[in-house]
Amino acid sequence: MADEEPEKTYTWEGDYERTWEAIKEDEQGSLQATVDDIIHRAKRKRLTDRPVNVRLGMMRHLFLALDMSQAMQIQDLKPDRLTTTVKLLEKFIDEYFDQNPISQIGVLTTSNMRAEKLTELGGNPKRHITALQACKDKPCVKEPSLQNVLELAMSTLRHMPSHASREILIVMGSLTTCDPGNIYNTIKTLKEANIRCSVIGLAAEVRICRKLCEDTNGTYSVILDETHFKELLMEHTTPPPATANTEPSPIKMGFPQHVLNTEKDKTEQPSMCMCHLNSKDDKKLSAVGYFCPQCRSKYCELPIECKVCGLTLVSAPHLARSFHHLFPLDDFVEVQRSDFENEDSLFCQACQSHLTAENVYQCPKCSNLYCLDCELFIHESLHSCPGCASGRPRPSQTEHMEVD
Amino acid sequence: MTTEEEGCLLVVVIDVNPVWWGSSPRKKDKASLTLPQCVDQILVFVNAHLMTSPQNKTAVIGSHANESRFLFPRKTTSHEDQKDVLSQIISLDGKYEQFTKVQTDVMEELKDLISSNTVVSHTDTLLSGSLAMALCYIHKMEKETGVGEKLRSRILVIKAAEDSASQYMNFMNVTFTAQKQNVTIDACILSKDSGLLQQACDITGGIYLKIPEIEGLLQYLLWVYLPPLSQRSNLILPPPIQVDYRAACFCHRMLISVGYVCSVCLSIFCAFSPICSTCHTAFKIKAAPLKLKKKKKMLASGV
Ligand SMILES: [Zn+2]
Ligand SMILES: [Zn+2]
Ligand SMILES: [Zn+2]
Ligand SMILES: [Zn+2]
Ligand SMILES: [Zn+2]
Repeated sequence: MADEEPEKTYTWEGDYERTWEAIKEDEQGSLQATVDDIIHRAKRKRLTDRPVNVRLGMMRHLFLALDMSQAMQIQDLKPDRLTTTVKLLEKFIDEYFDQNPISQIGVLTTSNMRAEKLTELGGNPKRHITALQACKDKPCVKEPSLQNVLELAMSTLRHMPSHASREILIVMGSLTTCDPGNIYNTIKTLKEANIRCSVIGLAAEVRICRKLCEDTNGTYSVILDETHFKELLMEHTTPPPATANTEPSPIKMGFPQHVLNTEKDKTEQPSMCMCHLNSKDDKKLSAVGYFCPQCRSKYCELPIECKVCGLTLVSAPHLARSFHHLFPLDDFVEVQRSDFENEDSLFCQACQSHLTAENVYQCPKCSNLYCLDCELFIHESLHSCPGCASGRPRPSQTEHMEVD
Repeated sequence: MTTEEEGCLLVVVIDVNPVWWGSSPRKKDKASLTLPQCVDQILVFVNAHLMTSPQNKTAVIGSHANESRFLFPRKTTSHEDQKDVLSQIISLDGKYEQFTKVQTDVMEELKDLISSNTVVSHTDTLLSGSLAMALCYIHKMEKETGVGEKLRSRILVIKAAEDSASQYMNFMNVTFTAQKQNVTIDACILSKDSGLLQQACDITGGIYLKIPEIEGLLQYLLWVYLPPLSQRSNLILPPPIQVDYRAACFCHRMLISVGYVCSVCLSIFCAFSPICSTCHTAFKIKAAPLKLKKKKKMLASGV
């Protein structure tokens, strides 16, 4: 069995890295500059390593499975594993919806050899976060059951439309699992249903988890510390490349108007929104809201699936927010500053700062130069090149400017 | 007091599109304002902003039909240079040196920007490029603020010419980044309403105002846009406007309330089609025939 496992070296078997030689003091005797530089380089590497132009699963359906067994009480993460995990998962949910605006998430827990569904799949981050926070006060009991939690997630996921990506992300503190049947059969069904399973282990590598992730095209990783844990979680916010079986199809969607209760249109009567129909909060009775263009049901939040007619309701900016995954910005080229004739009078196109570092970054399209800070900012959050956005792709014009 | 230490970085983006500012029908209008007059009024506003707190900072960007450029601060090779320049300015009439510097820099850069772009073939302004530059500058400045100091940033757009439809995607990227960085985008509109800026202001929580009297620009700037963000909740400001969030279909650029979205590339179409025209994906027709039949029936009954 051991032969089948991919070649993987442990840290102590890996190349002998003399990291301290890379660190040098600056004039003031501070190490901050070089440390910053190393962090920057690592970030840049992560960005450039990202696969480009792969078809992405835009409509993601993800179940978060949280281990609530005794192992989560261990205090190797401060104050304990459960508190840290809940705190990080809250951040994860926010970030997930930021990057996948028309996707859904659901939360499961497993303890006492059973699995429990905390929240159904849905697009409202607040609902999941409140449910997660309540977990902090619940007791951590006995062993988890990997099989039960997988089966529970599968029972919902297999009914999701075929164009959507189906995923399960498990945060596992325990080194054991207590299952009612043969888990290999479950893994086989998961694979057939095209459900991608990933596991983040909090303790050490467990064979069955590796098998599960490898068979279903997921990723398996074990955390080193809290920062690493956070990084691993955040990796899952980027949409995974869609597997071959997800079929493309056009999805019917509604773009509801936001009705404000202003002087001009007092025509709308105050009403309850469909999402808070069962809550006893009187404040939800108002004329403001989003109305389904098909059946006129009212909602206070987007994106949502209309409970009456089933239409997916989104706003156009929600869709626009995902565009950068589909049309990613080209990587900037790292160039030596000394390659330019006027090397002492070069400026960052974005922030106007004088370029003094050895390396500068050049946009391949507009050939403007950027500093490292701006390069990272542009690729991590902005996704638009300021130079390209403030010029027109017309060669005749640039020629004219040169003549002038 | 902690509030005293919080400075505000105000980035003013001025639409200096020469086509709009030089257009003849506007001149016939009795209410008119020339670009130099407009810039003068904005400079008074910028000075007022700098005066309200010693921690306040500013930057001015000129947005042209062909390029975007920082009018203030100008490119300087190091921080020492900037100090030297400031001390070299001889205070002529007892005017605060910083004000003189802002004024001369903005005017000189503006002259250069206009004269180096004499051929203008477009009527729309490349606003999203200026906004992207503003966000990068803000990102840099916030990173450079020392421990214990706080910097709140906002962007004010003085918009004259029309929206550039080709910039929708860049504009949305900028808007969402601003929202993430907690940067407010305010807009002061001189002529036609801007759908893109309406959305940007709504998403980032800024004020959108189309001013009724263009000559009174300075008054609006001082009343509406000068008070710091923290005091806005205490003021009676222009009411929020109804923002049109309907999507425009990629095929006809028509605003629709129900449409089809490609699951691969999220392109929006007003009618069902078997192939996505953006990413050329052929859809497997599984659920679709039912809908098609219905449509055909409806068409038949309609005719
Ligand atoms: Zn409906
Ligand atoms: Zn820069
Ligand atoms: Zn570029
Ligand atoms: Zn159309
Ligand atoms: Zn498509």
